[in-house]
Amino acid sequence: MWREGLAKLLREEIEALLALLSNTAGLYDMVKEPLSKVRGDSVSDTAQGRAWFFLPLMVCEAICGRYEHALPAAAGLALLKAAAEVFDDIEDADSTESLSSRYGPAQAINAGSALLILAERAFTRLNDRGVDSHIVVRVIDVVNSYYTTACAGQHLDLSLIPAEAVSEDVYLKVIAMKSASAVACACYTGALLAKANQELIDLFTMFGHNLGMASQIANDIKGVTQLTDIVKRKITLPAIYALAQTDGETHSLLDTVFCKRASEFAPVPAQIRELLFRSGAIQYATIKMELYQQQALDNLIEAERDGVKVDQLKPLLE
Amino acid sequence: MGTQVLQELIKKIFSDEESRTQFIANPDSVLSKFPLTEDEKKAVLTTHGRLGLVTSGSAQLEAAIEPMLWWNAPTP
Repeated sequence: MWREGLAKLLREEIEALLALLSNTAGLYDMVKEPLSKVRGDSVSDTAQGRAWFFLPLMVCEAICGRYEHALPAAAGLALLKAAAEVFDDIEDADSTESLSSRYGPAQAINAGSALLILAERAFTRLNDRGVDSHIVVRVIDVVNSYYTTACAGQHLDLSLIPAEAVSEDVYLKVIAMKSASAVACACYTGALLAKANQELIDLFTMFGHNLGMASQIANDIKGVTQLTDIVKRKITLPAIYALAQTDGETHSLLDTVFCKRASEFAPVPAQIRELLFRSGAIQYATIKMELYQQQALDNLIEAERDGVKVDQLKPLLE
Repeated sequence: MGTQVLQELIKKIFSDEESRTQFIANPDSVLSKFPLTEDEKKAVLTTHGRLGLVTSGSAQLEAAIEPMLWWNAPTP
C-alpha cells in the first residue's frame, strides 16, 4: 500500500509538470509515451515500487520519516530517465516503436529536450514543498554533476574499440559511470533532502552505487540468457570473463563473435550462450552481482547502526 | 575486488572435473587454495548455495537476478 500511494503521488507530481504542455496536444502525447515506459504504468509494476527513481523518496523517509517534500526530485529523475530513453532510441536507431522512428528525429529530439527542461523545472518545485533554496541548488548541482558523469560514461562506451572493451576494469568503470551513477545520484538526493550529515549522504551514495552495479550485472546476465546481447555482439561481463578464461576453439569462436565481429560469420546465438554457460561466465557474473548486492546490504546495516530505519529498503535487495 | 583470483577459481571449477567434484562435495576445501577475500568467499558460497553450478538457464537463475533488474538505470 505504501508503494502504491507513492506511485500515485509521483504520477500527480508529473502530471502537474506536464500541464505546461497541455495546449500542445501532439507534444504532450509524445512526452507521455516514454514517461509511461519509465514509470512502469501497469498496476503490478507500480505496486512493487521497485524502481530507482523512487529511491529519493525511500532514502529520505528512511532517514527523516517523511518523503512528500522529495516528490519533485523523484519526478525530476523520472523525467530525466524518460529523456534518456528518447535520446537512447535515437542513438541506437534499432526500434520501430521509438518516437524517433515514428515521428522522425527532429520531433523526437524536441520531445527529449522538453523532458530535460521539465526535469529542471521539477527540481525547482522543491522550493514549493518547503525545501530551503540552498538545498534546492545543491540538489540541482548534484543531479547535473552525476548526469554529466553518465554522459561521459556513454561517450567512453561509444568510443571503445573491442580490444579495450574486453578489460573488466574498463567495463566496471563504464557501468559505474553510465548506469550506477544514476542510482547513486537518486540516493544522494534522498539523503540530502532528509538533511542528513555528509557521512550518511556518502553512505547512501555508496549504497546506490553498489545497487546500480549489481543491477547492471543482472541486466548483462539477462542479456545472455535471453540472447539479446549475443545477437548485438555486445561485450559485457560474461563475455569478458569467457574471452579471458577460455582457449582453443572456444576462445577463437568467442573472439570472432565479440572482438572481430566478422560480418561474414553468422554465429548461432544459442550456441554462444551455451559456451558462455559452460565456461563459467554466468557463474562468475552472478558471483560479482552477489558481491555488490552484499556490499549494498552492508551499507544499509551500517546506516541502521546510525539509527536509520532501513526496513523498507532491505527487502528490495532480496 | 580481486578479479584475477576469482576468475581463476571459476575457471578451475568449470574446466577441471576433479576440482568440480571436490567443490560440489566440499566447497571450502577448494576455496582454501585461492587467496580470495572474505567477501568473495561469501559471495561464491552464497551463489553456489542458491544456484549450484550455473551451466544453463533456469527459473532459479531468473529468480536470482530479477530483484536487481528493477534498479537498472542505463542512461544515454
